[in-house]
Amino acid sequence: MKALRRLIVILRIPKYRRMAAGIGGIYLVLFLIALQDISLGGRGFEFLTVDWARMFDRTGAFTFEPIGQLTMPGLTILLSPVNILIGLVVAALVGVNLVITYIAFSQPSACTFNRSTGILASVPALVAGSACCAPAIVLILGLQVSSLFITVFQVLIPVSMLLLLFSLKLILDRTVTELIDV
Amino acid sequence: MRQRRILTTATVLGATAFLSASALGVGSGTDARAQSIPLAEQRYVLGDEIATYNGFIMSGGPPPDGIPSIDSPQFVNASAARLAPGDLVIGYYHRGEARAYPQKILVHHEIVNDQVGGLNMAITYCPLTATAQGFERGTTTLGVSGQLLNSNLVMYDRESGSLFSQIAATGLRGDHHGRSLVEVNLIWTTWERWRSKYPETRVLSERTGHLRNYTRDPYGSYNPLGGYYSQQGTIFPLLHTSRNQQDKEMVVGARTAERSAYFVMADLARERILRTENFLAVYDSELDTGHIYLIAGETPDLRALSDGAYEIGGERYRPDELPLEEAVSIEAFFFAWNAFYPQSESPGRG
Repeated sequence: MKALRRLIVILRIPKYRRMAAGIGGIYLVLFLIALQDISLGGRGFEFLTVDWARMFDRTGAFTFEPIGQLTMPGLTILLSPVNILIGLVVAALVGVNLVITYIAFSQPSACTFNRSTGILASVPALVAGSACCAPAIVLILGLQVSSLFITVFQVLIPVSMLLLLFSLKLILDRTVTELIDV
Repeated sequence: MRQRRILTTATVLGATAFLSASALGVGSGTDARAQSIPLAEQRYVLGDEIATYNGFIMSGGPPPDGIPSIDSPQFVNASAARLAPGDLVIGYYHRGEARAYPQKILVHHEIVNDQVGGLNMAITYCPLTATAQGFERGTTTLGVSGQLLNSNLVMYDRESGSLFSQIAATGLRGDHHGRSLVEVNLIWTTWERWRSKYPETRVLSERTGHLRNYTRDPYGSYNPLGGYYSQQGTIFPLLHTSRNQQDKEMVVGARTAERSAYFVMADLARERILRTENFLAVYDSELDTGHIYLIAGETPDLRALSDGAYEIGGERYRPDELPLEEAVSIEAFFFAWNAFYPQSESPGRG
C-alpha cells in the first residue's frame, strides 16, 4: 500500500502525470500498430461493426477479435476492446515505470537506489514491447523460430505485466516522495 | 479444367464437433455425395511416416480458429471487385461457375468454406508455403487449427475434430488419421488473367463477416514481390531441406499414391513441356500456371504450338485438356514441396 500511496503522490504532480500519460499513449499506439489493429492502407470512409460478443474470440494467446473497423483513405483502425484494454494496462505500467526511472536519473536524492537500478526498471518495458512486436520482427528479419520461442512468446504479455508490476513496486519502495522536486 | 476424382465418399460421424455446419450458416449441399467429409480410396504418398509428422507438428501461435475461416462467403461481380490487374487470385471453375478468391483476403482467413456448382468445397491457402488447395468437404466445414507442419497449414474438420495437413492432404490425428482428402485443381494466377478467361467470374467479397484490413498483407506483397515472399529462409522448422532450388522458388508439383514430382515454374514457362519418368508438365500461358499429367513411363508425342495449345497425334488440345490422366497440380514454394516430398522426381533428377 505504501508503494501505491507513493505512486499517487508522484502522479499528483502534473509534470509527471503528463509524462506518464504521454509515454503510455505512445506505447499504446505502438502496441496496437504491432498487433496490426492500426495499419496503413484503406479506401474511402467506412465504419463497420460485427456482433459485440465476438470481442472475446481469441486471435492469439492474448489477442482478440475486433468488433469495429474504421476505414479512411490510407489508414485502417480495428477496434478490439480487449486488445485496447490489455494495451492500456501495459501502457500505464510502462508509463509509470519510465517516469520513476526518469526521476531516479534527474533527482538521485529522491531515490535510495542508484541509477543503474533505475535502468533495470526499464527492462520490463522492453520485454513488454517485444511481447507485441516479436511476430513483426520475425517476419521483417525472416528469422526462424522454434516451438520454444512460440511458447515463450505466447506468455510474454502476462509475463511482461508481472515484471512491470514487480519493478514498479521495487523502485517505488526506494523512492522518497517527499524529496521529489515538484 | 478437369477434376481428378480418384475418391469416394466415406461417412464418418465425429465425436468432437466444435460447431455444426448449419450453425455456421453453411448452405446444405445439393451434391449427391455431400455427406460428412469425402475421403479418398487411396492415400497420397507421404515423405515420412504420419507418426513423424505428428511429432513435428508445432503451434504457429494462434489458437484453433484464431485465424477465422470464411464460412458464409459473399461474392461480387468482376466489375465490382477491388483488385488491380496484377493482384493474385486463387481461381476455381466447376460446372459452369467460376470463382476468384483474392489472395489478399485469403491471407487473413486461409480457408473459405464455399459451395461451387452444387459442390461443397473448402478453398484453402497457406501464406507461409504459398499453397492454394481445394478439397471437397461434404457437410462439414474446415477450420484453421493454429498448428503447423513443415511451416504449412494444418486444418481441422469441425465435424470429427480430425487434423489434416494441407499439402499432404492427409489426416494426421483423429478419426481420419491416415486418410487423404478428395482434392480438386485450383489455379494460382493474376486477376487480369483469370478475368480475361472467365469474364463472368464471381469474386469473393471483402464482406467476409470478419473485420480485417484487406489492403494489407501481414507477410509481404506479391504485387510487387516483397517481404517474406521474396526473402530467403523460412520461419518454422522443416523435416527436410534442400539446396537444389532457392527456398521461395515457385514450383508446381503433383503426387499419386506411389510417387511425386515437381517442376520449377520458371523452367516450365520457358520450356513449355517438361517430363520426368512418371509425370509430364505443360505450361498454360493463358493463366501462367502448370498442368501435370501422369505418363507412367510412356512418352506421348507432344508438341507445343505457337498459340499456347499442344498437339498430340495431329490433334490440338488446350493445356488443361490433354488426353492424358491429369493429376492435381499444386503450386508451392520449393522449400515446402521438398519438406513434404524430398524424394520427388524432377526433370533434372529423373
